[in-house]
Amino acid sequence: MNIVKLSAATAAGLSLLMLALPTHAQTEAQKALSGKTVHFLAPSMPQFAALAKFFPEFEEKYGIKVVVDEVPFENYRQKSLVEMQQGTGTYDFFAVDVMWLAEYAAAGFLEPLMPYVKNADLTDADYDIDDFLPRVISGTGVFNDTLYTLPIGAGPVGTTFRADVAEKAGFKLPERFSPEFTTKYMYDAAKKVNNPESNMIGFANIPGRWFWGVTYLPYLFAYQTPETKGDEYVDKDWKITINNERTVASIDYFLSLKEFMPADSANWGIGEATAVYQAGNAFGTWNYQDFVKGFFEDPETQAKVAGKNVHLHTPAGPDGVIDPWFGAWSLGVSKDSKNKEAAWTFMQWVTSKDVQARATQYGAGPSRHSTYKSETLAKYQPWWPGVYEFMLKETNPDERVRVPEWAEISDIMGEEGNRVWIGEIDSKTAAANMEKRMTDAMRKGGYYIPGRNDLPKQQWRDLTYYDRLPSEWN
Amino acid sequence: MSISERTTTAPPMALSHRGILSRFGPSNRAVFPWVLMAPTLIILFAIGIYPFLYSLYIASHNVILSKPYLPRIFVGLYQYQALIQDPEFWHALRKTLLFTVQAVFIEFWLGLGLALLFQRQLAGIAFMRVFILIPMILPPLVAALIWRYMFYPGAGLMTYYVGGITKALGFGEIPFLSDPTIAFQTLVFVDVWEWTPFMFLMLSAGLASIPRQPYEAAEIDGASSWRVFWTITMPLLRPAILIAVVIRTMDAFRTYELIVIMTRGGPGNATTTMNVFLTKTGLEFFDASKAAALSLIMMMIIIVMSFVFIRVFRSKTEVAE
Repeated sequence: MNIVKLSAATAAGLSLLMLALPTHAQTEAQKALSGKTVHFLAPSMPQFAALAKFFPEFEEKYGIKVVVDEVPFENYRQKSLVEMQQGTGTYDFFAVDVMWLAEYAAAGFLEPLMPYVKNADLTDADYDIDDFLPRVISGTGVFNDTLYTLPIGAGPVGTTFRADVAEKAGFKLPERFSPEFTTKYMYDAAKKVNNPESNMIGFANIPGRWFWGVTYLPYLFAYQTPETKGDEYVDKDWKITINNERTVASIDYFLSLKEFMPADSANWGIGEATAVYQAGNAFGTWNYQDFVKGFFEDPETQAKVAGKNVHLHTPAGPDGVIDPWFGAWSLGVSKDSKNKEAAWTFMQWVTSKDVQARATQYGAGPSRHSTYKSETLAKYQPWWPGVYEFMLKETNPDERVRVPEWAEISDIMGEEGNRVWIGEIDSKTAAANMEKRMTDAMRKGGYYIPGRNDLPKQQWRDLTYYDRLPSEWN
Repeated sequence: MSISERTTTAPPMALSHRGILSRFGPSNRAVFPWVLMAPTLIILFAIGIYPFLYSLYIASHNVILSKPYLPRIFVGLYQYQALIQDPEFWHALRKTLLFTVQAVFIEFWLGLGLALLFQRQLAGIAFMRVFILIPMILPPLVAALIWRYMFYPGAGLMTYYVGGITKALGFGEIPFLSDPTIAFQTLVFVDVWEWTPFMFLMLSAGLASIPRQPYEAAEIDGASSWRVFWTITMPLLRPAILIAVVIRTMDAFRTYELIVIMTRGGPGNATTTMNVFLTKTGLEFFDASKAAALSLIMMMIIIVMSFVFIRVFRSKTEVAE
């Protein structure tokens, strides 16, 4: 009898849920796209795996088939740029990392999206572009005042620690964005619990040369003072300014974490550090907010650590500066696509309020106000409080300068930094080498040509540029 | 009807066929070989010469793939000059030469040793021969992945067992992929593991082709094994050695998958060879011109090295004969 009642109640609940879900009536233009196939190039990452769960639902609703080609993250930039450059239109839409937008948009590889947003025949009536966080959509998708991509999640990088291990050691970790969590605090806490003999290292850092652009950079920013903000490694004339005592101090701090690492760790990337943490053998490690569910909180694959973690910001530096990291992936329609309207139909659907909120249960991150406030996010990813305010007001989309030279700058930073890690050079030499080589890269890019007046604008010097309402962009 | 009449009244089409045949057919000994070779030459041009010419064109212009809006300016030999002035280029060249010389040297002597050993009729030798060839059969990518996991910090077979032994002996763990010198030697070790079988195969074939008579004469004269090896085996094996060493040198010079999978050029830049540098320049920084110039320099180095090998071996072979 109980089973009958339970089944009836479940059926009634599901019916109500179905009624509560928005049901978009398709327009004639959308119906005409039925039977088309769109090709999507994406990196193998948790947030795209989350979106892939919705492909069947989309295909059933619109009759448009989505074919996704997943490429390992390390090869994604090569693959996507080569595809775009060839202009064959093999892929109708691409995943775009935040620091590549300027490069792709300037090269004319992407289709401006605002005409599609405003096209009532192709965009669902309740799409509501102004529901996106202004800094998230503009930081992710706007280049030269024009919207090119739509975000599918954005967040800061941070750190993840084992709360249970801290408790056993007799201390409690602070809250996210608490000023108490500083570089010194992190080092001391890691030292307190570091016990390699018992398979517990204090901090699983990521010193591999290919990762410094995401794992070291937060420390470079944290070691700034309010006076040096904005000039972290590039000044207003695009001169490289990284050879200074703040850089040296931040490298030295990064290097101090080596104390907790095994001998054979100089090439550790995100994969290695995360694996050690997942195995329960590290007290803390690096994280990216959108990876938290996929990397640390899935009870099925991370049974040793899921539910035992505290997710914090990257530590504040000696002057209390917290790294304003902005990480995001977005979707952009290829200029050479032969199915632009079908690609857009998918993109507007998958970034809609409804799908974005539901996707959070699989690990996707929020980029809309409504997603941040959704019960699904609160239920499945309760580690987001505090990030909303940060993404609204503090985050800096240009921390990794969005110019084509970034790939080389980041590589130089990694190579010189990694050489310090392995003891080949000291931090002062590394800072000097970085400045010289980055300057060469910028010179080669034409930044120092006398009289040149078309250099990119440094929007990070006035972040209110990114705070316009999304619908106000071209 | 006379012959001349028949000729003059033949249909015009037949005449043109005959004309084509006389111009390009077997009767024209100067042209016909070219006609036969034409399909091959066209394919060769399309897949070999055209890309080479295009590389020359790209290297003499300023082409950055991520900036297609920039005009393609003719820069002459600037890219070569910039490379020659670039310390990264010299570092990569040094690492490549060091890797190639070490790997080919060890592979040659190990391969020769194995080939001599397998000449003897020992029990189970046929099975062992197949077993030895397995590393060479594996795709380089798979071999590199296997070894990457073998050296995985803390969890790989090599790190676990060898690390256990060195720890027990009081030396601590060996940083196989984290110490610049050890990481480089680890790559040489894996290359030797993978390609010694190739040397073995080539030199075994060479040994099998040496006639028995010189050995019989040496035996009658009472020559020692050592003397037989240096005065008979090595000189007569030279053609096989030349082919094996030239092929392996070209291959080792171009090693890519192994390095990218195992160290990605690190730690620092300790294992950044020419190919890693080339890939970084062309496919990460998208500087197509610099990458084209670099690939042409690499090609020239390989051609010069092969030419030197061939000259040296030929002159020695002629002296021996």
